[in-house]
Amino acid sequence: MAEPSGVRDNPAERSRPSLDALLAQVARGDQAAFESLYDQMAGPVYGLVRKVLRDGAQSEEVAQEVLLEVWRTASRFDASRGGAAAWMLTIAHRRAVDRVRSEAAAAERDSRYAAAYDPVAGDEVAEGVAASMEAERVRRCLDGLTALQRESIVLAYYRGYTYPQVAEALKVGLSAVKTRIRDGLIRLRDCLGVTW
Amino acid sequence: MVRLLPRRRVHALAGAYALDALAAAERDRFERHLHDCRSCTDEVRGFTATATALGIAAAVEPPPELRQRVLAVVAALGVAQAGNAEIAAVLTARDARTTSAGTSAGGTATVVASLAEGKVVFTSFGLRALSPSEVYELWFIGTGGARPAALLPSATPVLAAGLEAGDAIGVTVEPAGGSAAPTTAPIVVMAVAA
Repeated sequence: MAEPSGVRDNPAERSRPSLDALLAQVARGDQAAFESLYDQMAGPVYGLVRKVLRDGAQSEEVAQEVLLEVWRTASRFDASRGGAAAWMLTIAHRRAVDRVRSEAAAAERDSRYAAAYDPVAGDEVAEGVAASMEAERVRRCLDGLTALQRESIVLAYYRGYTYPQVAEALKVGLSAVKTRIRDGLIRLRDCLGVTW
Repeated sequence: MVRLLPRRRVHALAGAYALDALAAAERDRFERHLHDCRSCTDEVRGFTATATALGIAAAVEPPPELRQRVLAVVAALGVAQAGNAEIAAVLTARDARTTSAGTSAGGTATVVASLAEGKVVFTSFGLRALSPSEVYELWFIGTGGARPAALLPSATPVLAAGLEAGDAIGVTVEPAGGSAAPTTAPIVVMAVAA
């Protein structure tokens, strides 16, 4: 089995020991621990879901689902497979992506929010920055990617596009997109100093 | 063991996988491959940690109502789970899934549904109070129409049995004592059972 991830330098994981400990307490039914967990992670969960869905009402619904799933399944968290923040944000991202890919929800969102502000190119990260130093670091590392790498990663992660949708949006081939996403993530990972 | 894709092509999918950018069929195929590909597993883990940093960077202060709602629902479900073994079985079922939605009567409805148990746990927060002559009623909505699931006299979590594959969950306002079939338009309908 691989070493449990010691991700000291990754901003996402810096507070990991306490998040891991909180999750273990939540799994034992500790309500106060869940409140602390909420206060640390509701911002990233809600912000990420909202980034993908771009709809306040739906984002609140999905964030609520995610936070309740975290409470309900806390005992299944396995620290040897990554940190608590990664576990929670993986749940959040999958839920948001499920929602954005469901056609009915998409139609509803489009009609309700056709006129909503939607900065496609703009500064994807700096927009909703609570933890500004960490967000600034991520933004600088994104800036260090090639345009195609950055756009591929942003459309896939922040918009919930499948890689064929990314290929279509950027008018490049499927294998080029797969490669750009992977190469971009390698560069981003190294720039952020992520170890795992 | 059949290898569906050459190793190099599978490796190229690790990034898209970590960003949830694979369609369901391709994701399942990649996950099967992950089982016996140590280097893929390591790479996915690093990419997931990287994606986590992107997620943290997107943090936005949620509306304060969300905190109030989530903590209230967790408290209510926690009490119900501790006091009712059947509710606990649904909440801990491997296949259970939580769905939340806003309702036209205000507030939110939350359902934890387990097809394996054939049951749901329903709870709400902030629904409009009804007059004594009315009650909220929960329905299983399948291809054959709506089947009565439970009455919801309060916001306390309620267990309902009889969930079938493909069912949606709905809530209507009915005359006190409930109805055999819905008599009003639902205040919320949620797709729950995949």
